[in-house]
Amino acid sequence: MRILARVREDQLRRALQSIADARGAVLVDAGPFTEDEFDDAIRAAPDVVVVESGEVDDLAQLRAETDGAGSALIIACHDSTECQAAALANADEWILLPCDEKEIDIRIRTAQQRAEGIHLPRRTEETVERLRYQELLYDRLTGFPTLAVMIDRARELLDRRGELTILYIHYVWYSKIEEIYGWQKLDDVLESTAAAVRDFYAEERDHGDNLMMVSHVADDDFILFTHVPVEPELAERRLKTLTSRLEGFLRARIEQEHGEEIAALVGVYVGTATVFRNPKIRTERLIYRAIREAADAARSAEEWERTLKISDLKATLREGAVFMEYHPIIVSRTEEIYGFEALARGTRRSLRSPEVLFQVAEEANLIWELSRLLRQRAVQGILPHLKKDQFLFLNVDPHDFDDPEFRNLDAKELGIDDPGRIVLEITERTAIKDYPRFQEYLAAFRERGFRFAVDDAGSGYAGLGSIANLAPDFIKLDISLISNIDSNFLKQNLVETIVGFAEGQGAQVVAEGVERREEFETVRDLGVHLTQGFLFHKPRYAGPPE
Amino acid sequence: MEQKPILVVDDDPDALEIVGTFLESRGYRVATAPDGRQALAKVDELRPDLVLLDVMMPGMDGWEVCRLIKNHPEYGDTRVVMLTARGEFADKQEGLRCGADDYIVKPIRLDELGKKVERNLDARRREQ
Repeated sequence: MRILARVREDQLRRALQSIADARGAVLVDAGPFTEDEFDDAIRAAPDVVVVESGEVDDLAQLRAETDGAGSALIIACHDSTECQAAALANADEWILLPCDEKEIDIRIRTAQQRAEGIHLPRRTEETVERLRYQELLYDRLTGFPTLAVMIDRARELLDRRGELTILYIHYVWYSKIEEIYGWQKLDDVLESTAAAVRDFYAEERDHGDNLMMVSHVADDDFILFTHVPVEPELAERRLKTLTSRLEGFLRARIEQEHGEEIAALVGVYVGTATVFRNPKIRTERLIYRAIREAADAARSAEEWERTLKISDLKATLREGAVFMEYHPIIVSRTEEIYGFEALARGTRRSLRSPEVLFQVAEEANLIWELSRLLRQRAVQGILPHLKKDQFLFLNVDPHDFDDPEFRNLDAKELGIDDPGRIVLEITERTAIKDYPRFQEYLAAFRERGFRFAVDDAGSGYAGLGSIANLAPDFIKLDISLISNIDSNFLKQNLVETIVGFAEGQGAQVVAEGVERREEFETVRDLGVHLTQGFLFHKPRYAGPPE
Repeated sequence: MEQKPILVVDDDPDALEIVGTFLESRGYRVATAPDGRQALAKVDELRPDLVLLDVMMPGMDGWEVCRLIKNHPEYGDTRVVMLTARGEFADKQEGLRCGADDYIVKPIRLDELGKKVERNLDARRREQ
């Protein structure tokens, strides 16, 4: 771990040094650095940046730079005004000096945890300056007041009632959602989650509950404040029902608005913490501490669910509880079925989405086992229905090539005489670590007659470079390149380029995700050989193709 | 209804002049901006149907400006045509990523400019 520090106070520097020593971390003292050297040091992406207030003029700029580098930012402050400035600048943590080593250590930890959360790409942040001030007070995506604004009201509540309970709504998504649907989708989902939180809040308020709400700008998490009964048992019961109602409400809403597939990729976890007035401790600090506590509780709820999913996956593998769907690919010119892409689904509810299935398998290091099961099922399911001249497209992950069993894949054993009818679809969403070796494996497969497709071409994961390297027999154009292609001339031009390139290489181009007639006609006229999409067929359970 | 202007963004005043004059001669209303920041302010103010956007600009480059326009909740449906000095594939990929609708390779040929402006305005009209 590397800590970059720009601090004046000797005591603070010594404390940081001793923390670094204790944790086996490297402390880079940026005290004597020039502005440029300091900027460069941030660009080198240290894990944590600690800056004493006053050492840097523009905190917002510093935040943007540390965000860009993926570093956690901690501001050391001398008074509450500076703390507020740190909060407004979205620092991950701040320290009020003087501060003992132990607390600094804890703050570094929490800052790191917070910085680890995936940040939403900023929407209009760098745009027009006049929006800036407004943005500090109200979150631009959700319209909620930010923590800095609400903390005053929270303090007031705490002072008046002597007690305040925080519901921390931890919002997570599987990274695949961004890869597959793009971050705009992510923004949409977040927005409707925010709307759902708002509605829940309104509904509860109608029942006379004293809820008030905050949107936390640094993460994509929300906070609700409420009061609970003094009696601990009653309090616990009330919190439990409130929590589960809130979780259920949000999940139902996401599913309703974005469909089951997206909902499966989003998680909403609620953690709670109650804080009591303590005149000896500064109220803001009490509130911040409770927020952290609630956040930790929410995160451990997430952990717990992850564990459950892994055990579900193990059961899935044991019982072979997956089913396959097949998505037909048609010849653009004749609209006849050319082949089928096999798509896997888990039968357990928590693992229904293939993305979740794979992500969990990756986390549990069970990816080979899962892949083996899926390959076997994919072939078994379609075999009786596959006509002699039709192809079977199988998704493989670059990791699969590390699996000796996969490398010995035998088409005959699978029941298909001609390996040339099996097309292995490779996506580069998982990075290929050892390229030369990967190439070797590919060559061996090719020699045995298997064909290859590059999946997701044009999505940013498979550029022309990788297409040239893999020399595939099929190039599957990503849905992002196809949607609305009829009105986007840049996309048309790109697809035309790829078709020309493919023809030179003797490869065929497949347009994925064709949903509208206009899109189909456009890609067909651009010379795209094959088409796959809801316009013609939906993925379906194995059965005789009509 | 009054015709909405086409916004041309380029840090090169000569390019602004040439493109602006040409489009005006074709009967379009034209607004110009010399950099990304002012371009965004103009988009906000004028709500143009079409923005012609130079890629290589000091400060915020054209890709960034395009991304901000295209992802904006209110004027995300503005057509954006990139003016790029390079016609390489990587540029088009970048163009896609930031949501551009079309592009014109520099140096600009005026007949091509005319055609692309027309077809993008057509597409915009169809979308509305």
